[in-house]
This record gives sequence, C-alpha cells and structure tokens, in this order.
Amino acid sequence: MVPLLEVRDVHTFIGQYHILQGVSLSVPRGGITALLGRNGAGKTTTLKTILGLTPPRQGEVLFAGQPIHEMRSFDIAALGIGFVPEQRAIFRDLSVEENLKIAERKRGDLRRKQEMIFGLFPDLQRLIHLPGTHLSGGQQQMLAIARALVADNRLLLIDEPSEGLAPVIIEQLILAIRQLSAETTILLVEQNFLVASQLAEDYVIIEEGRSVKTGKMSALIKDEQTIHRYLGAA
Amino acid sequence: MNSFVLYLRRNRALLITAAVLLFVLLLAIRGMETQDWVVTLLRSLSVAAVTFLVASGFSLIFGLLDVLNLAQGTLFMIGAYVAWTVYIRPDTFIDILTPICFLVAGFVLLPLWDYFAGRLAGKKVLARLWPWAGLILAGALLFFSLRAYPVTIWDPGIYSQAPGTYSVFAGSGMLLIPPAETFGDRSAVLVLGGILLGSFLLAFSLAGLQNNRRAARGRTGLRLPWTYFVSFLVVLAAGLLVFLYNTSLTDAIVGLGSTWLFFISILVALLTGILLGSLIESSLIRPLYSRPIYQLMITLGLSAVGIELVRAIWGRPEFTMPKPEIFNGTGTGCPATSLADVFRYNCSTILFMDSRIRVYNEIFIPLVGIIVLVGIWILLQRTRIGMIIRAGVQDREMVEALGINVRRVFTFVFALGVGLAALGGALAGPSMGISTAMGESLLLNALIALAIGGLTSYPGAAVGSLLVGLMQQFIIKYGQIGIPLPFLDEPFKPTPPLVPASTVLLMVIILLVLPRGLLGRKE
Repeated sequence: MVPLLEVRDVHTFIGQYHILQGVSLSVPRGGITALLGRNGAGKTTTLKTILGLTPPRQGEVLFAGQPIHEMRSFDIAALGIGFVPEQRAIFRDLSVEENLKIAERKRGDLRRKQEMIFGLFPDLQRLIHLPGTHLSGGQQQMLAIARALVADNRLLLIDEPSEGLAPVIIEQLILAIRQLSAETTILLVEQNFLVASQLAEDYVIIEEGRSVKTGKMSALIKDEQTIHRYLGAA
Repeated sequence: MNSFVLYLRRNRALLITAAVLLFVLLLAIRGMETQDWVVTLLRSLSVAAVTFLVASGFSLIFGLLDVLNLAQGTLFMIGAYVAWTVYIRPDTFIDILTPICFLVAGFVLLPLWDYFAGRLAGKKVLARLWPWAGLILAGALLFFSLRAYPVTIWDPGIYSQAPGTYSVFAGSGMLLIPPAETFGDRSAVLVLGGILLGSFLLAFSLAGLQNNRRAARGRTGLRLPWTYFVSFLVVLAAGLLVFLYNTSLTDAIVGLGSTWLFFISILVALLTGILLGSLIESSLIRPLYSRPIYQLMITLGLSAVGIELVRAIWGRPEFTMPKPEIFNGTGTGCPATSLADVFRYNCSTILFMDSRIRVYNEIFIPLVGIIVLVGIWILLQRTRIGMIIRAGVQDREMVEALGINVRRVFTFVFALGVGLAALGGALAGPSMGISTAMGESLLLNALIALAIGGLTSYPGAAVGSLLVGLMQQFIIKYGQIGIPLPFLDEPFKPTPPLVPASTVLLMVIILLVLPRGLLGRKE
C-alpha cells in the first residue's frame, strides 16, 4: 500500500543555510509517527517543507502518491493536511470561535465538526467567545489542535505539543491526540521522549538535517544506546 | 472586576498618556472663546478624516503585507486629479473610458494567457526572449492605437484651455465643454482593434515573464471558469457601448448637475484607486515580497513617477475644484441656522454658536471619514476576509498553512488601501485645492498618525489621525490669537512652520513614553 506521506531525500535551504541535507521518511496510513531529534536537528523545517512553507530545493514529497513539493503551500494544505505549529501560534486577535472558523474550507465545516471538537476539548466550548490572548498555554494548545480538525484533514502535522505545559495538561493532551489518531494519521514532532514514546508506533530520527534511523517505537524504547546517542538522556 | 484591574495595570502608560493628552486639550480649549474652539475642533475633524483615509490604507497594507507604501501620498493626489477630471470635464472621462475598458479586457483573461504561456515555455532561450519581444510589440501597438484614439482633453500649456481655467469657469457656472474630437479619416475599427490586440499581447507577454520567473513551480491545468469569459465580454461590451453612445452619454452626465457629478467623481476616484492598487500590487510589489528594501525603493520611485506623470497630463500650477451645488448655496436663508435649512437651501455654511462652519469641509468630510471608519471596522470584524486579514497581520504563514490563498487577500488589501487614499484625495480636492504637492504633506501626516497610533493598529490609525488633526488646527488657531504665557509680556504666537513641527514633537513624546504607539501590539 502507498504510504500516506512520503518524503524522499529532501534538501531545504533557509536563506543560504542548508538546513535539511537529505531527509527521507514515510508515514503509513493511520496511527502516529514520531519525528525525533535534538534541538536544531531540522524537525520543524521538515514539517514546513512538507507543507511548502519552506519549499525544498531538491527531493520529492508525495502525499497519497501525488507529488506536492512544487505546489503552493495553501494548495498543499487544501489537499487535507492540518498543521499545529510549535508555540501554538493561535491567532491572538481572534476569538476562539473565529480561530476555528478561519480554518473552514467549506461553509459549515465547523458546524459539522463542533460536536467532535468540543467532545475532545470541552474547555473550548466554555471559552468560545474569549479572545485568543486570554487563553492559558494549555488552552491555546488545545485550540491549535482543534483548529486543525475543523477541515477534513487526512494528515495532521503536530509540532511540539507538550512544550512548556504542565504535566497534568500534557496527560490530557496525550489522551486527546491518541483519540484523534484513531481517525487521522499524525506526524508528531516531540522533544519530550516520554510523550512521544507513549503515543507513536513508528519513529524517524533526524540528526543535523539528515534522517538517520527509522523503525518501530516499541523497539526504540528498549534500545538505550540509540536513545542516548541521538536524543540525549531519555 | 479582576480582569478590569488587570487591564488598567497592563495599560498604565497608555491611560496616563491619554489622560495627559485630554488635559492638554482641555487646557487648549479653556484658553479660547467658545466659538473659536468649536470651529477649531471641527476643522481638526476635517483634517483628521482626510489623514485617516490615507493612514488607514497605509496601516492595513503595512499590517498585512509588511509593505510601507510610500506612494500612498501620490495616489492620494492622483485621486484628487481623477475626481477633478470627472467633475469638471466629464467628456474627457467618457472619452477615456473606452480605451480603458479595452485595456482591462485583455487582463481579465489573464489565467488563459498564463496557461498558454506555460505551454510555450518549453525551449530555453526562446522562452526567455519571446515575452520581451511581445512586450515591445505590445508597447508599440498600444502607443500608436491609443494616440490615434480621439480624446477631448485640456492643454495645460495654453492658458485659455488649462485645467485651472476650466475650474474657474465651472466655479462660476459658465463652463463650456469644448466640441468633441473625432476620428477624422482614421478607421475606428482599426484603432479599437489595435488597442484590444495590444492589450492581449501585453497581458500575454507579462504572463510569459511571470512564468519564466516562477520556473516550473506549481504548474496546474487550465482552470478558467466561465465567469472570466462573462466578465471579459461585459468589460468589452461596456467599452463598446460607451464608444457608440459617446456624445449622448456625455450630454446625459453633464445634465446631471454638479451634485450628482461630484458623487460620481468621488466614486470614480475610489474605483481608480482600487484598480491602480491591484495593478501595482500584482505587477510591482508581488515579485519583491522577500526584499523589503526594494519594495521601499519601488514605492518611493512610483511616487516620484506619479507626480511627474500628473504634471505632464494636468500641468504644474495649482487649481481648485469648485464645491458642488449641494454644498455651495449662498442665497436666501444662508448661512443656515439649523440643519433643516442646510438641506433646504443647500447652504455652504451653517451658523453654530456664533461661528460659521463650512458644511463641506467641517461636516461632510468628517462624516465620510466616520462612515469609512465604521465600514472598514465592520469589514474587519464581521466578514471572513476581515478575519483572514486580522489573522494574517499576526501570522501570515499560519493562515497559508490553513489552506487560504493569502496572496489574493494581499491584492485585495492593497487595492482597498490605495482606493481609500484616492477617495481621500477626491474629498480633499474641493477643500484643500489641487496641486501635485498635496500628497507629500499628507503622507507625512499619515505616517506621523500611524506612528502615534501604533503602526499596524487600525483603531490606532484613527486615533493618531485625530491627534494630528487636533494638534495642527489648535496650533494654527493659537498662531492667530496667541498663547498668554506667564513669563512673557507678549502672548506667544506659534509661527506657521511650527505646525508640522508640532505634530512631529507630539509623535516623539508619545513614542518616548509608548515605543509602540498608543494602540500598538506588543510582539
């Protein structure tokens, strides 16, 4: 079967910096794939390259078998890829409702999905008219994920969801993301190995802009040497 | 309650500044007779409204696109000249309409040209050369066919036919529209066909150039909904109809009277601004989004080119644009003593608290300013495109990642911003007088207003414009009556050069206290 997303030997430059120097990965349909690596390894750039926000100079990106690396980013997103960026990046000037509404690709998307979204994040329903500035970090993260759920997305790219959040909230998030993965495929970037190992079935490790190791998460957990070498102390 | 206290604490500097400004304003008012400060206040509103029209466009464009559009002042001025043309010489306007429609028609089919250009761009050298050849050919074709099209126009070089002279005659109600130019022995079909062909070729060549720049990125199949063909036909038909019924249309529009003509001219100025804005954005600004310095240079250059172009067409000296009948009555019942009288006798002035207030300058202009303020506010807060604009001001990349074509919104915002500036120019024509220099001081005012209000904040643009208007007008008024200072024998009279200096001073003080301006966002 064709993997949902395939990245083949991608090279990306930001300005004159050669950030990605050969990243390959494939995300199978269903479940969660974790993108691991140290700070500055190129995990976020990989996500942005997939989305066309930092288009690759070389290499291919295939979504459901279709090459997308030459498309414009909004056309790529419209194919059904949702993005939850690091540090949440919700729209602070917009209310919670508007933050969700802006993600609609067809009229009535939000109305169809709101039951599912508020079932996952009941807090958001209570805060619906509040401006984004007034949300706590955890609420912002939930909103950022919810925003990616409004349109019909087949793949979610989630960047560092647990960053800077309290342990209790991280637990809630883990539950929510696991629930989500039953319906959509997720490519998850996560610094916190504990979180990643609880969620993902597959993993890809990136080191200095190159993908160096892939495999099953269940095997990685036992492989202390690899964890130590590429991810630092686990 | 708690959040209210929090709000107060967070915005302490803003609140103190606002209180101080209010105190200074009250102090300034207390030093004047009632009738003086009422008039000064209303004049400030007038200046503020015109400044706001330029500043709001500026702030919208800068907020979303990160482009400092330094041509905003020139486009303001062009708005005034366009409005003048429609208002004083509707025959010229009608004459020009046909070539413009034909020119636009070619560009309506841009997706079609894009598609063909994409298919042509196969061979390397040839692909790079043909758009230039096409461009030259299109230029030549348009040059000859547009020159051959008869347009009844003024001649700035001859006194009796200069724009200023027509203005004076229009003001005294003795304007004679000169006889229309004709094709003579030229073939109308050939000329019109030449313009249309030139427009096709121009659009095609530009599409080819753009295609080369883009290399092979994002080539998709031909997506040309039937609406494009319909709008093409509509534009073409409009041009043809205007061409066929040129004289009767001119007669009809002249017969409407100055009031209707005035509102039409304002509308035309607004539309011209919108058209110019979308043209500038898509052709000049778009290729330079990753190079802010070049953008700055290009808007600056555009502003200089615009001024010279206007000088070439309309001539150098200043002239006035007479106010329309509805704001210009002076006969019985005037100056009006009540609003009802203003409408009954179309008075130019109204008596209010013993002072004469000009209806156009001090009531109509601020009114339009408020309508625009509220209208844009509703657009920003209540519509989807407004939501995208607000979101894009904060994080363009994320908006794009949601699957929204932000570039299209960019064009919309740029066009809207330029349109507002042109509208401002059209409104300012009758009150400020028309000259090629009218844009420069306004651009400076608008920039100061923006800095005061916070660069990307839309309400900030309004507050900033208001403060600039108040500052200027009160300084001007005190220049006449003098400020009694305790340690001086003579009252201190601010001289005219102090007027622009005072607004700069105000900006400096406010930016020292609040580096992001009054309502600027913390990043």
